[in-house]
Amino acid sequence: MMKRWGILPCNGLDKPAGQLAREIALYLAQDQAKTLACPVFLHSAPSVYAKVKEETQWLVLDGCNTRCASKLAAEAGFAVGKKINVSELTEKENLKLGRSLRLEPEALALAKRSALDLAAALFTARTDREEKTAAIPDGKGQTDSGVDFPASITYTEFRQDKFRFRVPQGEFFFNENDCWVWVQGQRARVGVSDYVQQSLSDIIFFSAPELGAEVEQFGVLGSLESSKAVFEVIAPVAGKVVAVNEELEGSPERVNENPYEQGWIAEVELTDWETDRELLLDAGQYLEYLKNKVADFHV
Amino acid sequence: MVEVKKVGIISCSGEECAGGGISRLAARHVLESARPGRTVTICLPLFLAGGEEERYFARTFPTITIDGCDKRCAMRATEKLSGQVTQALTVSELLDSESALAAPFSQRQLNGEREKQIAKVSAALTEAVDEIIGKPAAKDLLTPTTPPAGIRLL
Repeated sequence: MMKRWGILPCNGLDKPAGQLAREIALYLAQDQAKTLACPVFLHSAPSVYAKVKEETQWLVLDGCNTRCASKLAAEAGFAVGKKINVSELTEKENLKLGRSLRLEPEALALAKRSALDLAAALFTARTDREEKTAAIPDGKGQTDSGVDFPASITYTEFRQDKFRFRVPQGEFFFNENDCWVWVQGQRARVGVSDYVQQSLSDIIFFSAPELGAEVEQFGVLGSLESSKAVFEVIAPVAGKVVAVNEELEGSPERVNENPYEQGWIAEVELTDWETDRELLLDAGQYLEYLKNKVADFHV
Repeated sequence: MVEVKKVGIISCSGEECAGGGISRLAARHVLESARPGRTVTICLPLFLAGGEEERYFARTFPTITIDGCDKRCAMRATEKLSGQVTQALTVSELLDSESALAAPFSQRQLNGEREKQIAKVSAALTEAVDEIIGKPAAKDLLTPTTPPAGIRLL
């Protein structure tokens, strides 16, 4: 069953952006009948939200770049489906908020407009996802892809303390940033390795690369965020982004579950695979590299 | 010994009840209009999320918490993360439970009754600040920003 949407605003008191986040949240809660979580109450009495947490995916509204709401959501283990930074929103709208918590009419109008846009976006996200789920026979499939990815993969595995690392065999190549690429013709699928998902622990947010964007080899191809850190996906190949794994936007934990199959990041139309290949490790080389890295850093 | 020059106000940022909205607007009014220069606010979500400067301030300087309801999230969080607060006020005690526990309100829902409630809580907060740091002489009060005609600055 599809999860409903809830809202977690920052409510920050020291900057009017927090007030704007609060106003957007209240518009959504009151006019669009969304669940609203109090960030302070969440921290002081998390058990109150235990049930609703499981049934809800969250829209997180941060007031500023300190991103307190995001941190509190991560701390509470909320499944974050969408994030908005209100300061970025006002900057984009070229709106100055002033100092007072009493927002000017322009800011209130922006709050209302943003709430309506978000309500529509959340509704669309739900519809898209339901359609995808319906189109997937066993519920385990992925976003449409232009490559014929192997149905089953053989892994080489090694352990370090309680951690288990798998490296797929076959035509997988890796950069030293722990990202993999699998190539078929002029198209490649990219993802992150077990090392990344083990290091990050529970991944709570996926920021997808933009479709159609041109990326250089070792450029940034989206990011993954956990309660511990943000990891930038470093492209092992250069090219144009032609598909992203949209499934990760609602279920970023798929990267933890299986970073090589369900948890792939994006697909790229290759620019110059032969040249890119020279700077990558094959599966055997990456396995040795990873063993040394894990031993050195005591993951 | 720390010379007390400023008092920190930590307000509930509550979304669970109207008391949260009243407390945050009252706190801001004291900060910007009633006792500017003598008070600082500490952003509670930031405080909770690990803002070290906020926690340091609350450990070192006197702080007043203003909570919306008797769950007292602001007071509990401050005492847990920084130490005992100097004064703890609660909107549900300053006004009445019914007003404090009403549904949270947006700025577009502010009305005359709500403004009176905010003013009453602001007055209690101001008094608490003065008890700690002393009432300022009129000449020492910073002049608050003059609002446009017909607008009361909070």
